[in-house]
Amino acid sequence: MDPSAFAIQLFSGLSRAMVLFLLSAGLSLIFGVMNILNFAHATLWLVGGYVTYSIFEFLGGQFGASPWLLLPAILGATAAMAAAGFALERYLIRRTYGRDLPEQLLLTFALVLIIGDLIKLVWGVENRRISLGIEPIEMLDTFINPYHFVIIATGVAVAFGLWFFLHRTRFGKIVRAAVYSRNMVSALGIPIPMIYSGVFALGVGLAAFAGGVFLPLLPMSLGVDHDIIVQCFAVVVIGGFGSMLGTFVAAIIVGVVYSFSILFWPDGALAMVFLIVILVLIWRPWGLFGTELRY
Amino acid sequence: MSADNSNWWSRLYGKHGLSGPAALLLLVFFVLVPLLPGKFWTIVSTEILILGLFAMSFNLLYGYMGQISFGHAAFFGLGAYATAMVFTRFKTVGGEIATFDFFLSLLAGPPTAALGALIVGFFCVRLTGIYFAMLSLAFGELLFYIVFSWYSFTKGDDGIQGLLPPPFFQDPVNYYYLTLAIVIAALLAMWRITESPFGYIMRTLRDNQRRAAFLGVNVRLHMLVNFVIAGAFAGLAGALWGPFSRSVSPGLLGWQESGIAVFMTLIGGAGSFMGPLLGSVIYTLLQAVVTMFTTYWPLTIGTIILLIVLFAPGGVLGLIEKRVKRRRGEAADADADDEAGIPAEKR
Repeated sequence: MDPSAFAIQLFSGLSRAMVLFLLSAGLSLIFGVMNILNFAHATLWLVGGYVTYSIFEFLGGQFGASPWLLLPAILGATAAMAAAGFALERYLIRRTYGRDLPEQLLLTFALVLIIGDLIKLVWGVENRRISLGIEPIEMLDTFINPYHFVIIATGVAVAFGLWFFLHRTRFGKIVRAAVYSRNMVSALGIPIPMIYSGVFALGVGLAAFAGGVFLPLLPMSLGVDHDIIVQCFAVVVIGGFGSMLGTFVAAIIVGVVYSFSILFWPDGALAMVFLIVILVLIWRPWGLFGTELRY
Repeated sequence: MSADNSNWWSRLYGKHGLSGPAALLLLVFFVLVPLLPGKFWTIVSTEILILGLFAMSFNLLYGYMGQISFGHAAFFGLGAYATAMVFTRFKTVGGEIATFDFFLSLLAGPPTAALGALIVGFFCVRLTGIYFAMLSLAFGELLFYIVFSWYSFTKGDDGIQGLLPPPFFQDPVNYYYLTLAIVIAALLAMWRITESPFGYIMRTLRDNQRRAAFLGVNVRLHMLVNFVIAGAFAGLAGALWGPFSRSVSPGLLGWQESGIAVFMTLIGGAGSFMGPLLGSVIYTLLQAVVTMFTTYWPLTIGTIILLIVLFAPGGVLGLIEKRVKRRRGEAADADADDEAGIPAEKR
């Protein structure tokens, strides 16, 4: 493979990996803390993208179009979706704690259908994308959209931020403790319901953020969430439930494997991803970086 | 059956779900469906039966064995594709198929699906709970993408068209009765299996795998056998699907299709034998009616599922069971035997 084709696949694979990471990190946290496998996570990501689009268009109408308006649009969408996530946990998800796994899956899957159709009601069926009008830059004898670097840098920065949050802040430490033993955390007088709402809001916020950041590269369209969510499951399973490092590494594996497989097996690139999932689940069901504890 | 005769409808519900009279009523209803004016209801009822069989095969894993599979549609799809491919091979240039060859092609579905289930199940039964769900999902998606991308063998995302059954079965009423006969035979076989010692071992595995192992049950082997049985019945449903809809497509193997079986089972009630079929009646009828008025079918079914999860966790039959038991003065959860779908051992 010549270096230019290699570079193109590598960078698109890495930026894909970053989006998968941002989504899977929230998915993994929510599962780790609340034992809820949130099928609707990618759907909320999609909503985040659409909301970013709408804010971007609105601001463009008010102040004149500018690529920089994407920043406030992403932040606005992230905040709005985090608030929505908070409310969702408080009024809906909370009712299923202590129920069986299938019922929880069913609830979040019902949300996939409902929210998916609400998107269709609000934004219609056309794809939505933002064009920032960035010129591709020339490197390695080929042209690469520099926005890939923005996404990769953002993803790495958020990964570090998450690590810092989980390991160096009080709330983060409480969250990690809750992954291991909810009862103990609760016994120490920490309001668990608040932690749950907070973690869900954080996860949904991250998803919405990913939706906004990815908008200039990939148009938001109905039904993409169905493909993305199973890839996120793949990432979480490969990395190990509850492990941030694992999620990060697995996201890179899935993103890069996908973008290179697409060269020689265009329709079956995702088959390669699921083959890896199968091998990991057979070899180490708790994932590459997960602990055997939860298995 | 309980000797209680306090009201007529509590008699329709026996110890193992629908009682004999109820099953008979249901049978009479299904036999009489083609008398309704127009072909529409006959076609909808055929769909109800095929998807109902698919959902019931899923419930062998979920309701009886306590494991949730998100890749069960893979076997539905494998059965459908096996039948479709044999069908296409037998078909003359004019697109006709002899009745004997048609039945032969239907027979290709279940064994192919069972073989697939044997391979997938071999790995899946080593896991439980969320890991079982994830591995079955991954296998299902793998098979989906193989069928989707292997254009020379499966025609890829074009699917296989022109599965026109022999002239006699082109009449929806005749195809409906064929489906009804096959589905009833399959239900009787499944009923036999779930009420056999093997079926009770399944319930034990659902409630407490470790205890079953202590009692000397070969846990993995029993789970694998059940997985293969469930796969074969899903394949039978798939085999009926192709000639019914005149085509097959890779979507039949996808996880959204698996989701339909999960929906139907949970809507009807995983805790009873007939629950998934009732779920299929409700789901498919609703879909047929709702899509006449609006394209927002996902919104409708999503809201219904949401309400069921929040207010009727046992599905519709679960609700009926609760009311019947209250009438009879039993505690709602006294009959632990039939409270299916709840793995006692949470991991």
